[in-house]
Amino acid sequence: MELGSYSDQSKSTFSLADEDHTLANAVRFTLNQDPRVTFCGYSIPHPSDNRVNIRVQTTGDPAREVLKDACQDLMLMCQHVRSTFDKSVNDFKMSKTVKDMDIK
Amino acid sequence: MDPQPEPVSYICGDCGMENSLKPGDVIQCRECGYRILYKKRTRRIVQYEAR
Amino acid sequence: MSSSEDESMSEVDEQEEQEKKTKSEGSVLDYIMSLESVPSKLPPHLDLMRTRVFCNNDAPDHTETIQYSGAYAALGVDNSIRLDKFCRNFKVQVNRLTEDDIEFDMMGIDPALANAFRRILIAEVPTMAIERVYIANNTSVIQDEVLSHRLGLIPIKADPRLFEYPENAGNDKNEKNTIVFKLHVQCEKGHPRITVKSNELKWLPDGSELPAEDVKPNSGSKPRTFTSFSCSQDSLPEFSTNPIAPKNLDIILAKLGPGQEIELETHAVKGIGKTHAKWSPVATAWYRMLPEVVLLKEVKDELAEELKNKCPVGVFDIEDIEKGRRRATVANPRACTLCRECIRGGKEWEDRVSLRRVKDHFIFNVESTGSLPPEVLFTEAVKILEEKCERVITELS
Repeated sequence: MELGSYSDQSKSTFSLADEDHTLANAVRFTLNQDPRVTFCGYSIPHPSDNRVNIRVQTTGDPAREVLKDACQDLMLMCQHVRSTFDKSVNDFKMSKTVKDMDIK
Repeated sequence: MDPQPEPVSYICGDCGMENSLKPGDVIQCRECGYRILYKKRTRRIVQYEAR
Repeated sequence: MSSSEDESMSEVDEQEEQEKKTKSEGSVLDYIMSLESVPSKLPPHLDLMRTRVFCNNDAPDHTETIQYSGAYAALGVDNSIRLDKFCRNFKVQVNRLTEDDIEFDMMGIDPALANAFRRILIAEVPTMAIERVYIANNTSVIQDEVLSHRLGLIPIKADPRLFEYPENAGNDKNEKNTIVFKLHVQCEKGHPRITVKSNELKWLPDGSELPAEDVKPNSGSKPRTFTSFSCSQDSLPEFSTNPIAPKNLDIILAKLGPGQEIELETHAVKGIGKTHAKWSPVATAWYRMLPEVVLLKEVKDELAEELKNKCPVGVFDIEDIEKGRRRATVANPRACTLCRECIRGGKEWEDRVSLRRVKDHFIFNVESTGSLPPEVLFTEAVKILEEKCERVITELS
């Protein structure tokens, strides 16, 4: 849910339901890395409500697009993390079997 | 009204023996004479949430 | 020989010409940035503030991560981590991997992401755990609800990815979303007390055996039970070779005296740790930043001995230098627990040793309770973060 003005698309607040610090802090990190962003932050209006507000202000681009790009970047980062992790686990397992065989 | 089909068995508080009592019986354990008898646990299936 | 030399000389000339061309083609900025006196990176003291947490005697310093891309815009330094830079700098190294736990290092990642993975590992990776307990008889001293609570906390060795959430099937408890266990123990009269352990929980692959209350006597040959399994779970290939059971078979559930009996049936369903802690797949998952111990001044002889003895985990070691003198070195900074013993005892110790943490190097530890191996757990956690992002993206579009 987006709260902003129709005339100025570059500043708005996005209210996400069923989210908490887990996603909001990670999205805030990727938003900060984007050079189009002048201000970004998140807040949790009430801890009993499962809702988080993300505020994005940009240098002209519509805030919705910038947030979407940040989420895409986060997804790609996660995929990269996953593949790197899988590869290093496999390497570790390989090296351990080699070591076991060497000992034998 | 309700013919009370089978006699209910109670457990003696002292020796733990099962006594079957019909309505109108003296409330006393058949074996040791203890006069406090406990009712058995229900046979119905009780559901609990494991939380 | 001379002709080949000539050929190699002409090749070098061609390369130089090409370089000069690219230089003059508007890459004046590159030329300026390549000059030595122009700063393209942060000065070392600012870089130290950006990448290290200083753990001083009274409180840690520079603890925030400077994420904003324009933070050093006044200096002309770009602080953004674009995707390609992230992919280049990100590294993972596994240190220890056993059946139940994993310790690995993640380098080049921000604490926001590391914390997101930790939170998801603890609260949002699904597992199977006992949810409903149908007690037919319990004459033990353990109350019904206490026994049910203990049953709920038993970790079950079943892959939750093979099951569905119970809400998705409505009120239907079928073989795709329920695992049924039975527990029937009795202590005979005259026998000594027995201990009921979790190995007494028997898996029923065919579903529930207890008759449901509203059973119609002429509805068919099989009476209706609490579950409606259309096919036996035994027939699924994953379970035919390794049957579903609790992970630890020596968990004490109850103790029975002579003449006491427990007869119950339990249903395990899929859930996440957010709803109830019994569904958390990790005993715990935690991370710490890599400690960095730097000796600011040379510590020699008796001071070196004193320093080595101060540290309870053996971070410092002594090495011999010439003329029979000894010097302290940092042998094992990774073991540092930041107890700050080495900088206690006055300002002169604080001037000799600097305790720091590297802000983007995390030592992750994941201890699994048994439903999934720990490396799979981490992969699932990353997948769940991706799914969350996808949900936000679809909501925005």
